Amino acid sequence: MAAPVLCGRTAVLCRTLRGISSSNPCGLLLQTASYNPRPLRLNLSDPYIPDKESDETPAWQKTARYDGKLYGRYGSASGVDPASLWPSHEQLDRVVAEEREWQPTLEEMLRNIELKEKEEAEKRQAKERLIAANMAKMPKMVADWRREKRETKQKLKEDKARREQLLEEARVRFGYALDPRSPKFLEMVAEVEKEEKKKKKLMKRRLKDEQTAAPVTTPADAS
Amino acid sequence: MSFPKKPGSKALDVLQNLPRISLANLRPEPGAKKTAPRRGRGQHGGNRSGRGHKGQRQRGNRPRLGFEGGQTPFYLAIPKYGFNEGHSRRPQYQPLSLKRLQYLIDLGRVDTTQPIDLTQLVNARGVTIQPLKRDYGVQLVDEGEDIFAAKIHIEVQRASEGAIAAIERNGGVITTSFYDPISLGIVIKPVPFFLRGQPIPKRMLPGQDMVPYYTDAGNRGYLADCEKIQQARLALAQKYGYILPDISKDELYHMLSMRKDVRQIFFGLAPGWVVNMSEKKILKPTDEKLLKYYSS
Repeated sequence: MAAPVLCGRTAVLCRTLRGISSSNPCGLLLQTASYNPRPLRLNLSDPYIPDKESDETPAWQKTARYDGKLYGRYGSASGVDPASLWPSHEQLDRVVAEEREWQPTLEEMLRNIELKEKEEAEKRQAKERLIAANMAKMPKMVADWRREKRETKQKLKEDKARREQLLEEARVRFGYALDPRSPKFLEMVAEVEKEEKKKKKLMKRRLKDEQTAAPVTTPADAS
Repeated sequence: MSFPKKPGSKALDVLQNLPRISLANLRPEPGAKKTAPRRGRGQHGGNRSGRGHKGQRQRGNRPRLGFEGGQTPFYLAIPKYGFNEGHSRRPQYQPLSLKRLQYLIDLGRVDTTQPIDLTQLVNARGVTIQPLKRDYGVQLVDEGEDIFAAKIHIEVQRASEGAIAAIERNGGVITTSFYDPISLGIVIKPVPFFLRGQPIPKRMLPGQDMVPYYTDAGNRGYLADCEKIQQARLALAQKYGYILPDISKDELYHMLSMRKDVRQIFFGLAPGWVVNMSEKKILKPTDEKLLKYYSS
């Protein structure tokens, strides 16, 4: 790689220096490739110009497009009016209208891009805000969930203990282990529950009595 | 003996008595239909009739395309996802590495005293561009950035950051610019276009999805501000740790500071001009309307 790079460097140097000093400054002149354009293979001495009036001439050789090609190849020798190479006013109007419809200007595009970016940013920010709000709620939700879980567990445990106690009671009462599904047991459970309810009611009443009594007694005590 | 009273009356009678022509009594022209070859007849009876031995090939009950004998076929086993969506319509950029560019310069196939654009690169056979295959130009790739040592003014369609840094480190100028497919076809093959005798069209603006790339000074886009580009040049020099050569004191400053117009396809040729190769002439429009159209 290095050798051709160096050679190339000298070649370029030679070319740049050639303008300054007419004689060849480098002893060693390297042959460098340069662009060798393809010759224009055009029959300029005897060009084929189709006769527009003749019926023999194919229709595609009578079009404006072909005229343009003829001018492009043979120049003024083709006999084509150079003014016909550009679109006429009507054609130009059509082109301009089409461009206006389909090709937005740079300012328009920049404005659209800005709008789009703004919209996207707003969307993203809204989402971020939502996430932040929800994340702020998170610790409370986790605590609630934990508490609920703990409570259900506790409740399950209590139910189980109560059931066992009832079974034990039934065993004491009847003298043998009862099936928890048997009507006898269910009856007993209902009875026990009734009793408990009654007891609870009684307790409530007593508490109420005490409370009503207390404010009456307290001022009496105080006086 | 009885003679028909009028000649041709019998044919007329027949024609009057025949039913109307309908699909029921039409048949193809004789010779219009070719009967299918009746295989396995005569001395070929008992042979395979050209279908080989046994199996689905002989019996013609091959399973459908893609069927793998009951196993979940490949086309259903691989989930489809949008990685390759629209791949057949994506713009392609032919890669040109700095190594190859250096090679072209060293061989003298590219002249560094002139701005290098797509025409020069294609003429030097450095890249092959096929606009009909969705090529949108060349991308400058940073392979060989460490050996690159030429001061050039180059215009490409995409450039990596390393390539931009390598060119600017050597005191060169790089621009990325967009060519629509029609302008691209013209810029890679100017002579066939000039032989068509058409005025040079305006280069179209990039689509909205490409505008951000070409307005970015970091990409040296042709739609970016000159001042911003200067800032970006300095920033890149700082990032890559080289001292940015001052091109305004350069002997090739005129060449390096040349800039194509947004609508211009060739250096030195404005849109709307007609170039005639055989007479070595340039024709410019004088009509006000045309001038207004081509200058907008």
